[in-house]
Amino acid sequence: MRTLILGLGNELAGDDAAGLLVARALREELAGRADVVESSLSGLALLEIFVGYDRAVVVDSVRTGRNPPGTITELALADVGRVSAPSLHHTGLPEVAAMAERLGLRFPAETRVLALEVVDPYTIGAELSEPVAATLGPLARRVRDQVERWAEQDGARARRRADGTRRIGARGERSCTTTAPSEPSSSG
Amino acid sequence: MSREIVIDPITRLEGHGKIHVFLDDAGDVDRAYLQIPELRGFEKFAQGRRAEDMPQITSRICGVCPMAHHMAATKALDDLFKVDPPAAAKKIRELVYSAFMFEDHALHFFFLGGPDFLVGPAAPKAERNILGVIGRVGLEVGKEVIGVRQQLRALIGQTAGKVIHPVFGLPGGLSRPLDPELQQEFAAAAARAVEFGKFALGVFRDVVLRTPEFVEMVTAEAYTHRTYCMGLVDQADKVTFYEGTLRVVDPEGREFLRCDPREYLAHIAEHVEPWSYMKFTFLKEVGWKGFTDGMESGVYSVAPLARLNASEGMATSFAEEAYEELVSTLGGKPVHHTLANHWARIIELVYAAERMAELAADPEILDSQVRTLPTAVPVEGIGVVEAPRGTLIHHYCTDSRGLITRANLIVATQNNAARIAMSVDKAARALIKGGEVDDALLNQVEMAFRAYDPCLGCATHSLPGQMPLIIAIHDPGGGVVREIRRD
Repeated sequence: MRTLILGLGNELAGDDAAGLLVARALREELAGRADVVESSLSGLALLEIFVGYDRAVVVDSVRTGRNPPGTITELALADVGRVSAPSLHHTGLPEVAAMAERLGLRFPAETRVLALEVVDPYTIGAELSEPVAATLGPLARRVRDQVERWAEQDGARARRRADGTRRIGARGERSCTTTAPSEPSSSG
Repeated sequence: MSREIVIDPITRLEGHGKIHVFLDDAGDVDRAYLQIPELRGFEKFAQGRRAEDMPQITSRICGVCPMAHHMAATKALDDLFKVDPPAAAKKIRELVYSAFMFEDHALHFFFLGGPDFLVGPAAPKAERNILGVIGRVGLEVGKEVIGVRQQLRALIGQTAGKVIHPVFGLPGGLSRPLDPELQQEFAAAAARAVEFGKFALGVFRDVVLRTPEFVEMVTAEAYTHRTYCMGLVDQADKVTFYEGTLRVVDPEGREFLRCDPREYLAHIAEHVEPWSYMKFTFLKEVGWKGFTDGMESGVYSVAPLARLNASEGMATSFAEEAYEELVSTLGGKPVHHTLANHWARIIELVYAAERMAELAADPEILDSQVRTLPTAVPVEGIGVVEAPRGTLIHHYCTDSRGLITRANLIVATQNNAARIAMSVDKAARALIKGGEVDDALLNQVEMAFRAYDPCLGCATHSLPGQMPLIIAIHDPGGGVVREIRRD
């Protein structure tokens, strides 16, 4: 299972650097468990980054004005929105995913979006605002937790698989029986 | 007294475009405009930095067209240090730049503009999206768009150091020559791109031109503005993206201005409106007469269609053929129909592919001499390229150590801003009558400005989200009486 951590942002534009900084901070720590990518691209141009991964965490800044700065909102891809008519460069994540699916490309089956409410993502050369700077640590922790949850799921799946292998022919779970490496004969 | 409608994107998840529509007492449109938030503080940020860092810094400004900024900045450094790069360096730069223009135009033509003309505004709303485009042109075409872009982006990355933030441009040339293997790969990719371009033209002919409603829509008065047009041209007055003479034609198609692009300040001035961060550029010699077209208005247009109008055609054979077809189909030059930008874009895509093929086949491009060392004391430098969305100008002044004292950028969308504002206004006027606001407004207004492919991306790269647009309707007192959002 390949995992992508994608930090989005513009490192010159104040709080907009948040996603990039979180990704950067996690790069070494997550080495071997996830690929950490920083990008300032948007929309469809991101398609190529996602292709080939099974799951992804996207970290980005957001300014809704509805939450206090420093608020972290977690969204699943399904929460982000349905496919709608695209506009400008803003083909959204759902469109990117739908397109990848239609074209038969390998796209993460699960994508979590961590959006950090920021103060000013527009001023070039600005420092991080205080609430955003204070939230980078917790935000990185959320990413790390997600990666660990996935690792645990993988471990549990592997154990089930091993278990299913030992009890082959018994009542193995579907996910085991279809993927168990002990059943190559089914393709022969 | 008037009412105002605002189309406001509130969240970064939705983007940044914001449209205001002011209604008069009768409920008709008094004034409508698109407001585009911009990154602030660039000039201040640049001050005191080394000029040589500008190609890297400016390419980080925008997540949409970093290569255009990198190239304009690099050319500004050539000018700043008064150094002429060797021929091979110029050719490699143009090769990479052509690849960038191709992949950017391909993305817009199929997937961002595609729903408007490949699927069509009359199609059910559920089909007016990327998936609808794929449904119309076929899975294989969809895959080829992705595939050819991927191949070119990989080559750009290998040549320019990084695809997103290129690092190869230096004052006086490049950081390294072109590897012969890469040249071969570029040649192969260019051949594929040329075929793709010809195919895309075929799709356009089959899907669009054979649909009478489309040609009617393109030529509709609602989408027409008779403005001046600007673009870079080569020595034969053909369209060029990397380097050339700045040429402007008047609304009748006669040459109005021809100058070294470094003289832009003598010809372009900026107008400020209280409702926008954007400075609206206009032709000094004609003057600012408001958001209006015609010979007396200094408003001008850039981007694909304006480039075609400002030139005498395309420098490569298939693109030139396609150019002639556009001109004859739409009743001769200049073509003032905004929606024809989509057609012009595909013609430019073909040119970019053919130009790539020419450059990749040029033996001189492998010359190892790719740098002329600068020796002059820097004072002032101006670099101009044609970005996908129009003329892009970088202008730096430095002290004698090469530290920036003043930096000015005029980005393509800014050159087009007045005309885009006019397009939004016209579309809104056509749709809002007697206070009745149709939800179709959102789409119609969008179509009007989407054809320009305006870059709202200088600050925006946010991944999730749907529409970058909300329309707000203001009453004569300025209060918002209604918001239309795409939720």
